[in-house]
Amino acid sequence: MTAARTDFVVRGPALYEGTKIPSPIPSWLQVPEARRETGNVLQVNFGPNHPSTHGVLRLVVDLDGEEIVGMRAVIGYLHTGFEKSMEQKSWWKAINYPSRIDYLATFQNELVFVLAIEKLLGIEVPPKATWVRMALSELNRIHSHLIWLGTMGLELGVQSMYMYCFDQRERVLDLFEMVTGVRVHGRYCQAGGLAEDIPPAFVDEARSFCRKFEPMIGEYERLTWQNKMWQRRTEGIGVVSAEDAIRLGLSGPNLRASGLNWDIRRSEPYLFYDQVEFDVPVYEQGDCDARARVRIDEMRESLRIAEQSLDKIEQLAGEPWISDDRKVVLPPREELQTSMESLIHHFKIVSEGYRVPAGEVYVAIEGPRGEEGCYVVSDGGAKPWRVHFRAPSFLAIAAAPTLCQEHLIADLIAISASLDTLMGDSDR
Amino acid sequence: MSGYKQVPGLLEVNEALGETTLVVEREGLAEAALYLRDELGFNYLADVAGADYLGWGGEVAGSWGSAEGRDLNVPYTLGPSLVAKPKPKRFSVSYHLLALRDDPVRVRLQAWLDDGEEVATVVEIWPTADWLEREVYDLMGIVFAGHPNPVRVLMPEDWEGHPLRKDYPIGGEPVRFSGEE
Amino acid sequence: MEGAGAFEQEVAQLEKAVLATTLDKAISWAQTHSMWPDTFGLACCAIEMMAVTGPRYDLARFGMEAFRNSPRQADLMIVSGRVSHKMVPPLRQIYDQMLEPKWVIAMGACASSGGMFANYAILQGVDRVVPVDVYVPGCPPRPEGLMEGIIRLHERVIAGVPPAYEMNEGIC
Repeated sequence: MTAARTDFVVRGPALYEGTKIPSPIPSWLQVPEARRETGNVLQVNFGPNHPSTHGVLRLVVDLDGEEIVGMRAVIGYLHTGFEKSMEQKSWWKAINYPSRIDYLATFQNELVFVLAIEKLLGIEVPPKATWVRMALSELNRIHSHLIWLGTMGLELGVQSMYMYCFDQRERVLDLFEMVTGVRVHGRYCQAGGLAEDIPPAFVDEARSFCRKFEPMIGEYERLTWQNKMWQRRTEGIGVVSAEDAIRLGLSGPNLRASGLNWDIRRSEPYLFYDQVEFDVPVYEQGDCDARARVRIDEMRESLRIAEQSLDKIEQLAGEPWISDDRKVVLPPREELQTSMESLIHHFKIVSEGYRVPAGEVYVAIEGPRGEEGCYVVSDGGAKPWRVHFRAPSFLAIAAAPTLCQEHLIADLIAISASLDTLMGDSDR
Repeated sequence: MSGYKQVPGLLEVNEALGETTLVVEREGLAEAALYLRDELGFNYLADVAGADYLGWGGEVAGSWGSAEGRDLNVPYTLGPSLVAKPKPKRFSVSYHLLALRDDPVRVRLQAWLDDGEEVATVVEIWPTADWLEREVYDLMGIVFAGHPNPVRVLMPEDWEGHPLRKDYPIGGEPVRFSGEE
Repeated sequence: MEGAGAFEQEVAQLEKAVLATTLDKAISWAQTHSMWPDTFGLACCAIEMMAVTGPRYDLARFGMEAFRNSPRQADLMIVSGRVSHKMVPPLRQIYDQMLEPKWVIAMGACASSGGMFANYAILQGVDRVVPVDVYVPGCPPRPEGLMEGIIRLHERVIAGVPPAYEMNEGIC
């Protein structure tokens, strides 16, 4: 790349006052010259294959004894080329891909892509489908937070958290299996609604899960907040101020733990989040403990939202679960035997796929990791022209060097776990 | 909405599907970004997305409906395929900005450029842009002048080519019985 | 023991093909009862691999819940997830650092053949880089599916089938 041009004028301060973000490269904490000259600095590679990095993340850390004096992250070990693959497939088939990007919040990834398609199509989704999407989104959030909590506990030494959380996680996956047929990667969202109606027993099973899960959150709180190991390893560690969090592009629980009351479900509601009651947990300290508390409280709020959604789903039993726009949605099979138009619609949709009018949209939802966004450009054809996913973990990993300044190597584990990064999401 | 008229270098304001797109001149992107951050309060950069429009303007795939939409009551929107509207240049870089406050506003800042042209980095305006611009350079080949660390972020460091460009092949290998061989 | 179960029948079939001494059989028996996997979780399949160690699909009953982080102490590498070209050198390095005898399970569609990602970024099958003993299909395979793969591997080992790197077939 060429050297910096001087005719691009940037007025204003280069970086703000009082910030902890390293300069000039925000994502690279560089070793100060004075430290380097002591000769004590050792560069250690937290290689891509490491038990505590939550996937294939490589951190190149400069250590002076045990203190972190330099750090940068190298990613790309899980780069999958989702965006290029999705350009090759029709809109219908491309919905299979986003599920695998953030493989803990599988439903939310499909949802954001399908919401973008529906925005371009201008299609109306029946309310029952929206309520089911909300219920499954919140169950997915609980699933993601459970795995996060289990693995964070495992790394901080609270190993029994892992077993407790994975046990409960299986029950959430039982619900998903009941609805979609598989535990993860259900591909249940469809442009216009849902792929199939939910089974009749879903509401009761989900309610029973919610009832049994509520006291477990209290157990998790006891296992974490009353655990000296957890407290000493997370309190005051990895503090990030609210201004720095905005500058670094953190989102979701990472932002809410620094005192910012920003939740897309509350501030820019999508689906029916403006019709349900829930609180948004916000903590002020900005340390690992605050980030953990936000997520644990969020599980409780997700239960509330899920229960309200289940009530609504029960009332709407028997209602359609997908739009009846035959240009986009398959007609019901019975119609194929009586209606010529339905047969033609079915043929066109299955062979070529529906066409989405030209345009570009950016849709953002509140995923468990933060703001998950999908930028879709359509040329009016049957295949996407460009799909781009905004990954919250991508920016959280870039922010890790800022948070790890003046901390010990053991705190790096706590910080990396508390940011809840996922390499599939970050590398796409 | 009226505040956007003062954005330096503004070429046009597009409103579609509830979203506002500000198209600015490529050379004036940094000034426009600074204005948006300081005067209009867009303190959060959510995403930087590049798009390659090579091959745009050819036949739209398929023959059901048109690029304008599908409307039974509008003539010629359900018939044979029509050509999509041409784009000014090959690449577009879109910055998705968010004014993170009680009444949030989102806007898309967009610049158009051809292959080989550069656009200024906004790392000093929003540090978020560090890795986001690296990703656009890595996958699309758009050079951000002034970026402090312009190396690839997702592909291996010695990779040649920019995978998300339209003239870069999909790669992999042909799958048997799928018609791709 | 009443009659031969499915496991014993399959082992007997494999044993007819391979002639092993009693000492070999004793060693193989010991190897299968505490075959420690290496932590090589990459993507979604890794989560299902973690579920296998969880309370419901308990892997500890096979003596395998001790996932060793150091390849020097591991016997089995379960490649769980999509392998990008950037990850291939670390993958091969970890495989080379494991001590023999060592086995590889390619878990999931992406490790077996590249899966749904026939593109520039993903290695089309991990058997291009390391010799694989057992392929477990699925996207992701259920934890029971992974356990079936592990049990098939145990059958092979008990029957005396040599690990994949000793076989002349395959690319590596």
